[in-house]
Amino acid sequence: MTVIQTAPEQQRRSVGRFAGGRSLNEIGLIAAILVLYVALGSTAAGFLTLDNQLGMLRDAATVGIAAWGVTLVIIAGEIDISIGPAVAFSSVLVAMGAAEWGLGIGPAILLTLLAGTAWGGLAGWLRARFEVPSFIATLGIWSALGGLGLYLTDALPVVLPRSGLFEVLGGDVLGIPTPAIVMVVLFFVFAYIARYTGYGRSVYAIGGNAPAARMAGINLARVRVLLFATTGLLSAVTGVLLAARLGSGNGGAASGLEFDVIAAVVIGGTALAGGRGTMLGTLLGVAFITVIGNGLVLLGVNSFLQNVVRGVIIVVAVLVNVVLSKRARATRET
Amino acid sequence: MAADVASGTSVVEVDGVTRHYPGVRALTDASMTIRGGEIRALLGRNGAGKSTLIRVLSGVERADAGSVVVAGGRLGAGGVRRAAELGVSTVHQELSLVPGLSVAENMYLGRWPRKGGAVDYPAMRAGAAEVFARLGLDIDPGAPVGSLSLALRQLVEISRAVREQPRLLILDEPTSALAAAEVDVVLDAVTRIASAGVAVLYVSHRLEEIRRIAHTATVMRDGRIVDTVEVAAADTAHIVSLMLGETAGAAERPPERKVDRTGVPLLAVRGLAVPPKVLDVSFDVHPGEIVGLGGLMGSGRTEVLRAIAGFGPASSGTISVEGRLISRPSAAVMKRLGVGMTPEDRKDEGIVPLLGVDENLVMSRMDTVSSGPTVRPGRVRRAAERLIERLSIAAASARTPIVNLSGGNQQKAVIGRWLHAGSRILLLDEPTRGVDVQAKAEIYRLVRQLADSGAGIVFVSGELEELPLVCDRVLALRDGRVASELAGPELTTDSVLSAAMAA
Repeated sequence: MTVIQTAPEQQRRSVGRFAGGRSLNEIGLIAAILVLYVALGSTAAGFLTLDNQLGMLRDAATVGIAAWGVTLVIIAGEIDISIGPAVAFSSVLVAMGAAEWGLGIGPAILLTLLAGTAWGGLAGWLRARFEVPSFIATLGIWSALGGLGLYLTDALPVVLPRSGLFEVLGGDVLGIPTPAIVMVVLFFVFAYIARYTGYGRSVYAIGGNAPAARMAGINLARVRVLLFATTGLLSAVTGVLLAARLGSGNGGAASGLEFDVIAAVVIGGTALAGGRGTMLGTLLGVAFITVIGNGLVLLGVNSFLQNVVRGVIIVVAVLVNVVLSKRARATRET
Repeated sequence: MAADVASGTSVVEVDGVTRHYPGVRALTDASMTIRGGEIRALLGRNGAGKSTLIRVLSGVERADAGSVVVAGGRLGAGGVRRAAELGVSTVHQELSLVPGLSVAENMYLGRWPRKGGAVDYPAMRAGAAEVFARLGLDIDPGAPVGSLSLALRQLVEISRAVREQPRLLILDEPTSALAAAEVDVVLDAVTRIASAGVAVLYVSHRLEEIRRIAHTATVMRDGRIVDTVEVAAADTAHIVSLMLGETAGAAERPPERKVDRTGVPLLAVRGLAVPPKVLDVSFDVHPGEIVGLGGLMGSGRTEVLRAIAGFGPASSGTISVEGRLISRPSAAVMKRLGVGMTPEDRKDEGIVPLLGVDENLVMSRMDTVSSGPTVRPGRVRRAAERLIERLSIAAASARTPIVNLSGGNQQKAVIGRWLHAGSRILLLDEPTRGVDVQAKAEIYRLVRQLADSGAGIVFVSGELEELPLVCDRVLALRDGRVASELAGPELTTDSVLSAAMAA
């Protein structure tokens, strides 16, 4: 399921030889997930049931879809913290479009996706044109969309009209939750973009050495606008799927999602400083925090305490990642 | 060597090019021609106008007057794109590679070949391998650039320029950070490029290199082209005098200083090892003595200093200060004992760019300019002004952000920081890197003054020819050990060089 596996043999050898730290991180994450599965399978009642596994896939999609875009953003040396409110506002927008403004289902979805692309593009434009730090630009989006979603709905859920399309989007296809299918399809799309398109390679180049990328004729502004437009679009996709699943648009939904997304990306081995990271790593990061979240619920851990446990686990996971990559670098230099 | 070149047709014609910045006549009425296959050295001190000329040729700057014609096409106001179209490729002094991407990807940075819309990795690797084969290089196109040595990165950078099939290749000090053996590979590659008919403009300060590869040399001074000479026919004194503008004799060794080596040494290092570069290094530094550590890139000079200053842990060996064995040399302990180190990378590790000269000077020790926990601005200013005066640092005021100072003055301030802390043992790592000739002379004088006042100084330099100008004794490092010790009359540029380079 990885793109690396489709690469020719010679490429794999050289990647394996030099990126020891990186693949070590991925192997470590797989091991950690397996350990969690064994531990939770034997202690948490119902963890291994099909229903629970499918539920986890659905939860993973909420984090994962946005995480693919945020991975590219972080590789480019930027950050996007607007995901949570952007998802909530998208769910409100699609619900109001379909239920109150009478646009019809299809146009309401289309409007939402376009709006997501637009506010993401706005953040990217602020970054590219005026050098507003992306943390601040997306903080503004975070606050504005969060407020707007609650204001438009008076903090009440907006019920979606009944429709076959929403039922499919919120339900499943051949037993598999639709959001999970969307997540997997988009994973392959983004893994391809990252590795096999000029845009994807430009993202790595900009994050690794922006002045060099500029001198090589790469259009930094275009890439930066596209990056944030992409995360805006992915937030809107997540918001539509969330609304379909809940049957309503909710201005307070997905609160704190941005931190789960960033945590998944960073656990997956993407450097916050930019220039380094893989989609596969993010996929494993998403799986890791989804399994932990699910396990804590099944074990009946107090919901306030869950946040404490998650906080500790996330920091430890990143710590291990940093230590491993430092050691790998040291061995390479000797 | 020059004969086959003289018959070539001229590829580059620069005619009366002038470029002025507000208040600065950076380039005035520059004219020259370079033929295909010719390697033209470009010489001049810092600020002589070399960089401006290069920027005009590569289209980064527009000439105010005059014309540049490359292979029959006028550069005009077309900028970088037009220059690239005419076949001008430039390798700048700062490396512009992306460490996380592979060698092949870096060579096609921003112009990755596509096949059916997807980036074509096999084509990229093949293209890179083809260029390497042409230049006789052995570099793995799949390796990430971050895993390569500095020399290989430089070669990747040159190969990238060559891949674009240039008519004029501009190389801006491609060897300034390389050791002798690495330089050979670069020079060899440059020679091959020229023999394929490319005109090469080669900027360097190293005369020895220029003698080996260049056919002709253009010397610049004060924004003007002073002369263009046949390298084979011009002797060094002549070239230097063209650069300096007056007949300056070869730098003389200063008079021998008297150092009392009978007492307890200020600093004694025994059997220091910091694998893999440093295996066994021992030496003493007495009060008033300047000990030079010479060696090629990668000989472990910096590692020795860092270990003494308590930054990099040594795997074995002992360090004693004034006869006292230091059991755990941490940075805090060594600072308290009076050891101060100035790093080789001034910009990244030496200065805090936006803080004033004053704060940069006193940051090594705040208690002498504070009462209790409160820093007293008046005392900071007075302490800073005393040091600025003593070291003759040229700054508009003590509060001027240090980034606005010239490299030489920044370096003096970084040294001054340790005088403020009252350090008696100064470890100076490449204190003259990137500063101009006059600033170098001032730093030598300052170092000797400090030694006269009783400090013990370890002076590290990769420019081996400067060690005899400032040091009382020079230790040549090779293969992680002190290969030889030179002092008195046998301490000469030649002896230091041969000690460091002998295999």
